[in-house]
Amino acid sequence: MNNEEKGNSLEPKDISSTGTEPKLETTKLPEACPEDTNPAAPIATETPQAVEAIEQPVDADGSPSSSVESAPQADEKVPPIAVEPVSVKKPQSFFGEQPLPIIDMAPRVLRYRTRRDLLLFGAGAVAAVAGAGLLLPQTTLSRMGVRRDMNSRGKEWLLNKALRIDDDVAEALYSRNRMVPTYTKSQITPIKNNYNGATPDPGYISGWTLTLDGLASGLSVSLDIRKLMNRFPVHEQITRLVCVEGWSAIAWWAGLRFDDLLRAYSPKLQAKWARVDSSVNLDASGNPDPYFASIDLATARHPQTLLATHFNGLPLTVEHGAPLRLLVPIKLGLKNVKAITRITYSAEEPRDYWAPYGYSSNDGI
Amino acid sequence: MSSAIPPHHEPNPTSTLLVEPSVLVVKRHHILVRCSHWLNVPLLLGLILSGISIYWASPIYQHKPDPVTGNFDVAADIGIWICAHVPGQHHYASPPDWIYNHMSLGPGMLAVALQLHWLCAYLFMLNGMVYVAGLIMGRGWRSLLPHWADLFDALRMFRYYLGVPFAKLTHREWLHPPFNTKYNALQRAAYFSVPVAGFLSVATGWAIHKPMQLHWLAALFGGFDAARVWHFWLMWLFIFFVVPHVILVFADGWDTLRSMIVGWSTKVDRSEVIANEQ
Repeated sequence: MNNEEKGNSLEPKDISSTGTEPKLETTKLPEACPEDTNPAAPIATETPQAVEAIEQPVDADGSPSSSVESAPQADEKVPPIAVEPVSVKKPQSFFGEQPLPIIDMAPRVLRYRTRRDLLLFGAGAVAAVAGAGLLLPQTTLSRMGVRRDMNSRGKEWLLNKALRIDDDVAEALYSRNRMVPTYTKSQITPIKNNYNGATPDPGYISGWTLTLDGLASGLSVSLDIRKLMNRFPVHEQITRLVCVEGWSAIAWWAGLRFDDLLRAYSPKLQAKWARVDSSVNLDASGNPDPYFASIDLATARHPQTLLATHFNGLPLTVEHGAPLRLLVPIKLGLKNVKAITRITYSAEEPRDYWAPYGYSSNDGI
Repeated sequence: MSSAIPPHHEPNPTSTLLVEPSVLVVKRHHILVRCSHWLNVPLLLGLILSGISIYWASPIYQHKPDPVTGNFDVAADIGIWICAHVPGQHHYASPPDWIYNHMSLGPGMLAVALQLHWLCAYLFMLNGMVYVAGLIMGRGWRSLLPHWADLFDALRMFRYYLGVPFAKLTHREWLHPPFNTKYNALQRAAYFSVPVAGFLSVATGWAIHKPMQLHWLAALFGGFDAARVWHFWLMWLFIFFVVPHVILVFADGWDTLRSMIVGWSTKVDRSEVIANEQ
């Protein structure tokens, strides 16, 4: 129990290390009455209770909560004179503040703990800075003056992991029976034409067909817009379209249900995904830039997932993806492919246009 | 900074002549509270930096596009103003990006900003649970609860803090309002509302992130667009809290800072310390 050697090795010259302590010692000297029952102890030893306090941090390294547990124990050993100035109030209520247990401690223990925890704190701060250097995008780092290439596999892995966890959360939150909020016509807001790049020339509309691939029949089916609209009932909905950028718009859409199309032209048995293509998309300079997105069939079967033909009561304009666009309000806007030309069912998850840029390909909202 | 021994301390009667008098300490912050406190620094920084980059993609505060530049973003306007009026920034290459280049990861990096934001947000939520666990295990939660009489006391503390620099400059006596609890009324108000703000940032974050599956949550904050405004201003609440928080902890002295790193404080009874200072 009496383990002075340990305490001494922590800090050999702690007696004269603080300027204020000797002064206190001299003024209070007359009051000090040695009661040391162990005459064999070296001069610089602590009192028995101080040694007790030393053992706490040494033994309880890494499990600091034990010092809380042992606090009342130490409290008991505090002589009455030291406790006197402390107002010990009984807690009035469950919510009332309770006084903290007071621990009598050798200064060297406090210094040792302070030094140890400061070193740990410093190590943590260095680790945080290093972590920031590893995690921040290269462009941000180079703006901050970091010349070295900090791109690494670990960074990619960690950020992708965060994205995958978020995708799993989106999957877990999704419920097939949960409808998205619908709005009244007075709540409709302007929607911006966010065509990726340039709006295509409307010339494509006259020869437009929708091609279905990966069907159970093994055939490839082509449908023109009149056939689609005559064959399937039209559903109307006023829903919100939310963009990954943060803007959103409430708009009035009408069209056929994706689910109805799936029932009429059933995909092959093992199919779990649909790849929705638009071959008429253009990039910013007006060159062909086919757009595509993956939709899982559970999402496609959601009653509010439409193949929209109308916007604000009128047939879709080129800006909104004439003559047929995907409207999937439970996914971000980037899945709402405009001017669909082909739907391909597959067992494997198809690629998303935006995935290589670092966006999630789940996009459930 | 200040003496490690409280002024009222009397040496242990059992100490020998050459032995240092022992100090009385209290365990002010549980290890989990301390860890989560410091982890908040990198996490909130990451959340704010990536958050402003996300904000860039679709700013909340917009005006009609400028006929010349086409700019509609109020934050970009501030950057343009800074480049025009702040010395040394006149030759900045892209004034509309000034704010985003200095206060976020940068403009035009939505995808990576979202990835970092999710990473930090999930860690921030875990960290919040660690904090709550530390408050319960260390029994510190009661000290954070506001009292009925706190409004008046908080105003007195506010007046005290505002007057400190003036009193120091003019060498006037400026008494610290007395209190005998772990925190004063203003601290309680701050330390109680910041975890609440953290909770609200998480809630508004989910409302923006999953506005369809959690549409009731978005509705609670007034809808998707209003939840974005909430989320934006909650970020400012953290910034407005952190600035005086850091100033005051350094003004208060080493013992206060140490109690958040080591956990122990030698201010075993605050009212006593204050009485002695006066």
